[in-house]
Amino acid sequence: MLGGEGMSSVRRLLALPEWSGAVRVLAGAAGLDAPVRAVRPVADPGAGDPVAAGELIVVTGPPQPADWRLDALLRRVADAGGAGVLVPFGPPAGSGAPVASAPEPGSGAVAGSGMTAGSGAVMGSGVVAGSGAARATVLLAERLGLPLLGAAGGDPLNLVVTARLLLAEPEIDRARLVLAAHRAFDDRACAPEDVMRRLGDLLGVPVALLDDRGQPLAGRLAEPGAVRVDEFVPQRVALADGVLLAHPAMLPYPARPTFWLVAELRGTAAARAEIVPPALSVAAVAVQRWLLAHRLELERDARARTALLGDLLRLDGEPSAQLRRRVADAGWQLGGWHVGLRIGAVSTLDLVPRTAEISRVLRAEGVEAVVVEHGEGWTGWTSFAQEPTPARVRALAGRLRAAHRKLRGAIADHMGVGRPHPWPEGLAGTVAEATDAARLAATRPEAGYFLQVDQLGMAQLLLEWTRTDTFEPAARALLAPLRDQPGDLVRTLSAYLDAESSIAETAAVLGVHRNTVAARIDRVERLLGVDLGHRDERLALHLACRTVTLPGR
Amino acid sequence: MLSAYGKLGCMLRIDLPDVAALERGVAVLGSGGGGDSRTAATLLRRRLADGLDVAVRPLAALPPRARVVPVGVVGATAVFAEKLPGGHEVAAAVDAIQRWTGERADALVSIEIGGLNGVMPLVAACDLGLGAVDADLSGRGLPRLDQLSLAAAGRPITPAALAEPSGQVLVQGTGAPADLERTARTFLPGAGGWAALALAPVPAGELAACCVTGSVSAAVRLGRRLLALGDSPDPDRLAAATGGRVLSVGRVAEVARRPGPGAHGRPGFARGSVTVTGHGTDELLRLEMENEYLLALRDGRVVASTPDVIAVLDRRTGAPIAGDTVRVGMEVLVLQVAIAPFWTEPGRLAVLAPRAYGLDADPALLLPPGPGEAR
Repeated sequence: MLGGEGMSSVRRLLALPEWSGAVRVLAGAAGLDAPVRAVRPVADPGAGDPVAAGELIVVTGPPQPADWRLDALLRRVADAGGAGVLVPFGPPAGSGAPVASAPEPGSGAVAGSGMTAGSGAVMGSGVVAGSGAARATVLLAERLGLPLLGAAGGDPLNLVVTARLLLAEPEIDRARLVLAAHRAFDDRACAPEDVMRRLGDLLGVPVALLDDRGQPLAGRLAEPGAVRVDEFVPQRVALADGVLLAHPAMLPYPARPTFWLVAELRGTAAARAEIVPPALSVAAVAVQRWLLAHRLELERDARARTALLGDLLRLDGEPSAQLRRRVADAGWQLGGWHVGLRIGAVSTLDLVPRTAEISRVLRAEGVEAVVVEHGEGWTGWTSFAQEPTPARVRALAGRLRAAHRKLRGAIADHMGVGRPHPWPEGLAGTVAEATDAARLAATRPEAGYFLQVDQLGMAQLLLEWTRTDTFEPAARALLAPLRDQPGDLVRTLSAYLDAESSIAETAAVLGVHRNTVAARIDRVERLLGVDLGHRDERLALHLACRTVTLPGR
Repeated sequence: MLSAYGKLGCMLRIDLPDVAALERGVAVLGSGGGGDSRTAATLLRRRLADGLDVAVRPLAALPPRARVVPVGVVGATAVFAEKLPGGHEVAAAVDAIQRWTGERADALVSIEIGGLNGVMPLVAACDLGLGAVDADLSGRGLPRLDQLSLAAAGRPITPAALAEPSGQVLVQGTGAPADLERTARTFLPGAGGWAALALAPVPAGELAACCVTGSVSAAVRLGRRLLALGDSPDPDRLAAATGGRVLSVGRVAEVARRPGPGAHGRPGFARGSVTVTGHGTDELLRLEMENEYLLALRDGRVVASTPDVIAVLDRRTGAPIAGDTVRVGMEVLVLQVAIAPFWTEPGRLAVLAPRAYGLDADPALLLPPGPGEAR
């Protein structure tokens, strides 16, 4: 805010109507464009007050002819980085006689009557015609490159007042604009597009809303690409005939701009470059407020959906009336047949804002699906009124595969699709299949990180999967702690898992006592550090057992 | 009485060849003022050529009770060169003060070493057959009687006698130094521009504390060194020879003269400024002058001031250029020479400091006055 405070130049002051007729540049025109930050009157050029940088000193007292103290003042102002010195000339207030013209009659003789040295009667030379400044002073101002201004007639204090008004003008303008911006962007949250429309009306210059990659979303700009979108700070970009001002609208997390507010100031509007940024900042706050409110809404919805999904997946039996009500409120459909989906997100992705994008892509492929943020990805399903024919399932798989190709990379990493199951108990089943398939898909680049559990069943899927060169060593490593242990632990584990975790069945298959089986399974769990009640671990071990005990491997 | 201390040694004899050195020395010490020393030097040469003799004795060589009469010329020195002295003016003034005080003069002392008053008392000493004392009451060129070292040391300078060329003699019996200054200023225009001044005799033993001693011999030494530099003096050698500092070597770009501020309804001394553009540096050296060069600003910064001597020398001949003769286009050297220590003592500095001339600046002196200080 302070950087542009009262920035003006001597040249701009000279253009003031009050100045233009009354003030002339006597010397030091080289410094006319130096910034003027303040204008200060001094009654006496000899007053030793310190001069500040950017200060223009206006001598208000009546001029004394060829005053050497003006030279000393010029020097002080130049040393302090001041902007210049203005001296009055012409008749000082209250005196009719012009100063520094002809000598008074007889003054030569008396003046020359010093005790010894008589000065001559030569007077009046060395003063620049029409100005009160001695030529020596003019020469010095020229040498220092410091503007020396002469004011003819009038009260120099008037010049000080008009100059100070000019210097204060940007500040007043800016304050007005900020107030107007605050009125325009009141407490109501409005969409960024509306904010930009109002901002454009307010500023009277082209404005635009850019996304985080600098692409225009609203408004029209000649050179939107000039904004450096990787630098998350308010920016000022010089254009050929103006300036581009950009202000980011950011959320605290992730701390990168979601939008850029950009104003283009060209031609005469470029002079307002110091005035506009605070208003832009107010507008950015309005956009930010909208983003926050929107995000809050999304998050709240996401939480509700995730909770609802959890309740549905845990469901055994008919849902309660309350749950059905929540499902209806969410716009979900429970009846019919369902095909589960599982989409794994790319790492460290902020899920909530992407859900809408996933739904959009699926819809674009002709798939109406419920998609819910769930763990490190999305879980969802699409529904059929009747049991789908294999052809319809294949068509669905094709569309999902196409959608996955679009999502993959930026949002999705891998996708799994389950088999059709009927409501109600089938929803959890198809979702579980999709989840397992997705987990496998993550390791299957050759399948495009996409797997569907189709009618051919899990066995084929598993066999296909276990043929990978990566899994077998992993499987052996997984079961390594069981080797060289007393009791045929790998075979016992394999039989136990094949027998659907039934101790009695396992004992029958292996021909040992059921207590033996129980003890062995207990040891397996301890040696491997696993819980065979957990389905993921059970699945992994089951596959590993299959791999190492598979005939011909 | 003369013979009584004529036998004492370390006496300075001014011979014909010394006159040129004396003339150059006093002109520089005039600091641009002090009047034209050439006419006075011509008068002195005439007397020496006629076989007259002038002996300049150190103050210490005089008996403490010897009566020393300060003498000099006051007024417009431009008139002095045109309306030449008749030769009786100093004698008339000394006569008047002897009659008023009832004391005989044993020796003369100059009221002001700078300019023509550095030479005229020696002329008077020849004429009156009195000795001169190697001292003065200024140590440089001064514009006002109330600035004399006697006044600065707190002594009265009345009674005083003024004698003008056409025969009028005025004695002021009592009055403060400023009163005598005012009387002289009132008397002079009617008297034709200049007059000889004689102050009441001061016992030699008391004079030592209230004058600048050794100034005549110092002026001669300074003059000799300057003359030894020859034409187109080298600035560094000039500084070394004078123990001073060369402020600028350049060309006079501007001379501005204007009436000075008056007081009590009477105009003051004329003011003026001289601007010298430095060769090779383009530095602007501005000199502010009244009767003398008083203040020097280099590019707006005060670099030298009274009471130090500021002299403007012709770059080709090395001759000092007075403030009333300096003209645009002259090639000059501007030299600062340290003032006699008498004036830098506390309480006395203010008498000759810039503010005593209405210039609102602190003194900028060559202190300590190191020999040959580089500029």
